[in-house]
Amino acid sequence: MAAVAELIDRGIKLYMAGRIREARETFQRAVDADPSNAKARSYLLHIREAMPALTPFPGLPAVQPAAMQPPASPAPAGAPGSVAALAAAAEAAGPADGPGDDFAPSPWDDGPASPATSTIELEPSGGLDLEAVADKSDLRSLVPEGAPPPVPAPKSDVDVWLAAAKELFALGDFTGSLELIEKILQLDPDHGEARDYLRQNEATLVSMYESKLAPLTRIPRLAIKPEEVMWLNLDHRAGFLLAQIDGTVDYESLFALSGLPRLDTARILANLIADGVIRS
Amino acid sequence: MSDLEPVIGIDLGTTNSVVATVRDGVPRVIPNRSGQLLTPSIVAVAKNGKKLVGTLAKRQAITNAENTVFAAKRLIGRRWGSKEVEDARRVLPYTLVAGPEGHDVRVALAGRTLSVSELSATVLAELKADAEAWFGRPVRKAVVTVPAYFNDGQRQATKDAGKIAGLEVLRIINEPTSAALAYGFGKQIEKKVVVFDLGGGTFDVSILDIGKSVYDVVAVGGDTYLGGEDFDRRVMDWLTFAFAKENGGVDLRQDKMALQRLKDAAEKAKCELSNGGATSIHLPFLVSGGEGKGALHLDKQLTREKLEELTKDLVDRCIAVAEKTLKDAGVRPAQVGEVILVGGMTRMPRVQKAVKDFFGKEPHRGVHPEEVVALGAAIQAQALTAPAPKGEEVLLLDVTPQNLGIMVVGGYFQTVIPKSTTVPTSQTHLFTTVQESQTSVRIAVLQGESERAVENELLGEFILDGIRPARRGEVSIEVTFEISADGIVGVSARDVDTGQQQSITVTATSGLTEDELKRILDEQLDDLLEKKASAGEWEERRDRVLAIVAEIEALVPAVHAALERTKFGKDAVQKAEGVLARVQAAIDARDAAALAREEEQLDRTLQLFKGLAAQTRQPAGK
Repeated sequence: MAAVAELIDRGIKLYMAGRIREARETFQRAVDADPSNAKARSYLLHIREAMPALTPFPGLPAVQPAAMQPPASPAPAGAPGSVAALAAAAEAAGPADGPGDDFAPSPWDDGPASPATSTIELEPSGGLDLEAVADKSDLRSLVPEGAPPPVPAPKSDVDVWLAAAKELFALGDFTGSLELIEKILQLDPDHGEARDYLRQNEATLVSMYESKLAPLTRIPRLAIKPEEVMWLNLDHRAGFLLAQIDGTVDYESLFALSGLPRLDTARILANLIADGVIRS
Repeated sequence: MSDLEPVIGIDLGTTNSVVATVRDGVPRVIPNRSGQLLTPSIVAVAKNGKKLVGTLAKRQAITNAENTVFAAKRLIGRRWGSKEVEDARRVLPYTLVAGPEGHDVRVALAGRTLSVSELSATVLAELKADAEAWFGRPVRKAVVTVPAYFNDGQRQATKDAGKIAGLEVLRIINEPTSAALAYGFGKQIEKKVVVFDLGGGTFDVSILDIGKSVYDVVAVGGDTYLGGEDFDRRVMDWLTFAFAKENGGVDLRQDKMALQRLKDAAEKAKCELSNGGATSIHLPFLVSGGEGKGALHLDKQLTREKLEELTKDLVDRCIAVAEKTLKDAGVRPAQVGEVILVGGMTRMPRVQKAVKDFFGKEPHRGVHPEEVVALGAAIQAQALTAPAPKGEEVLLLDVTPQNLGIMVVGGYFQTVIPKSTTVPTSQTHLFTTVQESQTSVRIAVLQGESERAVENELLGEFILDGIRPARRGEVSIEVTFEISADGIVGVSARDVDTGQQQSITVTATSGLTEDELKRILDEQLDDLLEKKASAGEWEERRDRVLAIVAEIEALVPAVHAALERTKFGKDAVQKAEGVLARVQAAIDARDAAALAREEEQLDRTLQLFKGLAAQTRQPAGK
């Protein structure tokens, strides 16, 4: 598994260095080594979406190239700019909870929150950004003989990871983004931008996981027989939380009891629900 | 009976507390709102800032040890620097500090410094709320129990705790007296009774003379560091050792989560073995198995025989303490008419057998040992508020809990009124001068059990001057101690020859000044910790919150654009509206506690909005 993680890491670096084809091959090797690795598959998919010309890859379903985003609609009339107006708009768009469904929708229900797009940006002064074309298409323009190719300044690991984290964040892969941010903070605990992204990722993930828990005042209960707990695949932290679920403690109290960061507690509880181990 | 204002009896224990009442003539325990009869005397501020009291606080006591206050009873009314406080500092994981005057003990909890009375008040308030939920109406009056050896300062501190909790403490009574009261309720007995109280953290032995409904504590003894938790620790150690042996030396004591589960399981197993011969301890996914390996399980069978083997010396210690107490009081086991078992640990069959063997008679187990003290307090509360029928009155005599006296030459303590003297009382002793031509003498009034003055509590001091100059030993000074029915101690000293006289009145203090008590009482008990914010803190918090609100409002257009692209977030936006409304209400009401509660939610909303906004600013793919 460590080898797969290394391949993924290498793939990210190659991708961020613009070596798309090599990145694709590296991610492909990761998928080959561990076909169930969701992260490797999602990166491979992402490259494919970003570079449709490189498809198809073996082992992955074909997908439609991502469509361009429609321009954002104007804010609803009435109280533009207020949270209340936003809430009203959200309400008008339909309730967050579907009929008979206790859970709020989350990005996991329908894949990445924001489909990836390939865009070619125009120069501010007009005209086509040839570098972007080259980057996106891997088609390089001719250069005068003898002129040395431009050598980009080598990027540090932190820069590469931060750029990748931002990209994953924009794609809705908050877990992947968070992992990279944590790697940055291990090297540079005071990295301001990484800290900002850490907080944003965490807040987003906590909201996503909590949406799976239903009202936090509910009391979760074991959904399996106690003797079946033994056969689960849990870590000791999940084991601790599961031991606290005795039919008397609500979710909010579990957050207080766990002593773990809120994100970790929410993630463990959401996973226990998803696996059918507990129910509200 | 039910139309009368409800009154309650509270056993405020070191480890657990119980609340009881008398309804329709029958004393009964009031369950807490979780349905349990015992409420752990524990207060904590969880890592997420939530205040926890009772069972929830206990369940995180090991994983959040530095912010969990247990056994506050060991500290209540104690002086900073006293042996008891120094002993407690060595074993307690939370931080103790000296009070503002440097005399009493304060506890540092989640960035605040609280008096021990405030912490005990939090437990009392929880019990009061449980009783109110049970009665369905407010409860204001209570009788609270304390150990027989508590001095006046400790009793006053317990009263202050009741006051802070919004209770009028009708009376403070001794725990063994209360237990005997429950035992003798409705009966006419006349005998010597021993109360053998083995609780969660302390062991107390008391000898009472009961006659015609008069309860008199004649001797007390015990070990303040011996109780059920020591038995739990033996089981935990045994499990830890066995686990390490079976799992290549993995030490569970290094993992707080594992230790917390181990403690809960050890206590549960111990309780189960009071009724059965064997029990299974099954803790799946207890501790990490190491890099790349699955979590390890603990699966162990504990028999009653093994438990008895593990704890034999603890039971022997209890009996040795009981033996010493009886010997000091000049009472032979055969003279004891009844032995009353109190405290959950006395459910253990081995303890019962040891008591039976020592006293030569079957101990009394007619009532639940954990509940009996609270039941007695409820009976006394009832007796104080509703007159009993003729002939059924229960008379409780207040007695001095410890020796009262003065310091004499050489730093020794001379008792004037011995402990267990029924109040009101008055005693006079004659003293003399130790120096030639001595014209003044310092009278230091002390309370305690030690022969050395410095080891006892200093209640007050004064100077008697104008003494006739004479050779040493020729002057007679008469020292009189008077204790009123309200427990107020008056001490006077008089030169017998000149008639020159000085006196002092001593009232017990808890360590809290009047101003402090008034300030605490001005605050609502709910949200005790949060509401202590000063005006400056309030403004700081309000400004911080308003800045976050402004940031959120600024992000609204970007969030709106993001919502066009994703379903996720709609739910959050609706929640955000609720958070902002609650924040506004808290600011309008100047409610620091409510604002503190919303601050975390508000910050998360901001982060969420930033995240959503970032998605619109940064097109995917590049």
